[in-house]
Amino acid sequence: MLTSWLGPQQATTPLVYHILLALLASGVLLYLLHRYLGPRGRRGLIVVATFLFGLFFGLEYFLPVRTKTLWPTGLPNVGGSAGNLLTPGIEPMSNILAVIGAFTVGLGVYSLVQVHGRNVLRRRAGWYNSFAFFLSFFAMFSFGLWQYSLHLPEPIPPTLTLTQRIANDGYEILFQGLYAPLQAATFSLLAFYIASAAYRAFRIRSAEAALMMVAAFIVMLGQVPIGAWLTRGIPNEGAIALLRLENLGEWVMRSLNSPAQRGIALGVAIGALAMSLRVWLSLERGTFFAEQK
Amino acid sequence: MGSLEHANWFMRVLFFALSAVIVASVLLAQRGRAMFIRRIPGLTAIEEAVGRATEMGKPIFFSPGIDGIGITTLQALAILSYIVRLAAARMTRVLVALRDSTVLPIAEETVREAYDAAGRPEDYRPDDVRFVSDEQFAYALGSVGMMAREHTATHFLFGGFYAEALILTENGRALGALQVAGCPDPVQIPFFIATCDYVVIGDEYFAASAYLTREPTLTGSLVGQDIGKAVLVALIVAGIVMATVLGGGTPIVATLLGKGG
Repeated sequence: MLTSWLGPQQATTPLVYHILLALLASGVLLYLLHRYLGPRGRRGLIVVATFLFGLFFGLEYFLPVRTKTLWPTGLPNVGGSAGNLLTPGIEPMSNILAVIGAFTVGLGVYSLVQVHGRNVLRRRAGWYNSFAFFLSFFAMFSFGLWQYSLHLPEPIPPTLTLTQRIANDGYEILFQGLYAPLQAATFSLLAFYIASAAYRAFRIRSAEAALMMVAAFIVMLGQVPIGAWLTRGIPNEGAIALLRLENLGEWVMRSLNSPAQRGIALGVAIGALAMSLRVWLSLERGTFFAEQK
Repeated sequence: MGSLEHANWFMRVLFFALSAVIVASVLLAQRGRAMFIRRIPGLTAIEEAVGRATEMGKPIFFSPGIDGIGITTLQALAILSYIVRLAAARMTRVLVALRDSTVLPIAEETVREAYDAAGRPEDYRPDDVRFVSDEQFAYALGSVGMMAREHTATHFLFGGFYAEALILTENGRALGALQVAGCPDPVQIPFFIATCDYVVIGDEYFAASAYLTREPTLTGSLVGQDIGKAVLVALIVAGIVMATVLGGGTPIVATLLGKGG
């Protein structure tokens, strides 16, 4: 039974029926949960699901490595001999999480349509920006789906029918000609933002800022040829070699910067462990966890 | 398929010891043991930042970063809940911009419940919690657009941030907003320090809900994690001494650093 549910499906029934059946079942389940579970029931369900999923992944990590598994034959032997009895369950569990995540993409699109739809319908200030959203959304969605449905070979052959040409060129113009350059242009803005942020950070207003300025100056000079040229007179052997700017820069990074970064990382790791325990045991204060009285 | 790597015996012992310390601290705190938490300026500034937006009569902008659902984002949502309660009590709007659609329903519920808790459920506007885009830079620019159009007075950035962080904070600064940021990633912290008014650094980020609410369970957990940190530092010192005296290839040192099994 478990194998037939979680294992690879046989090609006896078309995939589309499986998808439709799963969607219908999910819809009914969600309706029933929404209809009959009050806030307390929902919170209880979340607490139990969080605990069980956390327990599964935690045990999978901590149990000793064994070849024997709890799972029926027919499931992909994930992890093989390097796994333990729970390792083959990782993939089905991850699939469940991916499916739940996929449902929320629809919620994201719904949120966008709701916000921008209201802007357009009520002619709010800047409504034309929202209209541009709908235009670009439907253009990218239509051409993306159309091009995908044609299953064109890679690389694209020079002899395409007119329909194939329109679908492919439309998609290429929107994606490679518009979307990708816009992404690259935004990324390139970072260079200017880094320069302006660095200017403010390096202004000497206190002893700490002066120290940072000096350290940054050494590290930056150590990275460029002029740094090595400036201190070329210092021998590259013995203890005095540390005074060469390229060596001094590396020393600052390796002996001062790295330990500080590791210290922060250590604190973050312990903090994340404590937070994980609080979430797993539903001790955290927040939306889905009862508040302390 | 990449199954998780597995713990070796030392990691098992360490994990359970640290967890035991944290849980014991929680239990002690729940039984009334007084716990001290030092002042964290970045978290103390939250109330001042909300107050600034209220005085100016402008909304607050909140970003929970661009990570999906995980410990970092859940902590950001716990901070969001606190901020919305403060803001709702002062009739100040909070705009939330999201990159990950899986975070959307949880963020909506968090904000709605915070308005309920503040006794102002009628002030909740569904449009204020927005999914912007699942693309990193489209999200950054969409968020900057929200800041500019809504004339936000205060920006809170708590969560997992990457290259888009500077786009958000530099534009926020140009708009004259007071900015409070927090991120557990040491790589992003310098960028926030350069561009924000207050920054929550490293593990202070995970101390936020305990610091803000002072609830015994969370305070106990925070004290427990500090004890755990002290234990780890002691182990590091012991490891340095052992590796120096015995050598890195000694069986005990090699076992402690070895692979899972």
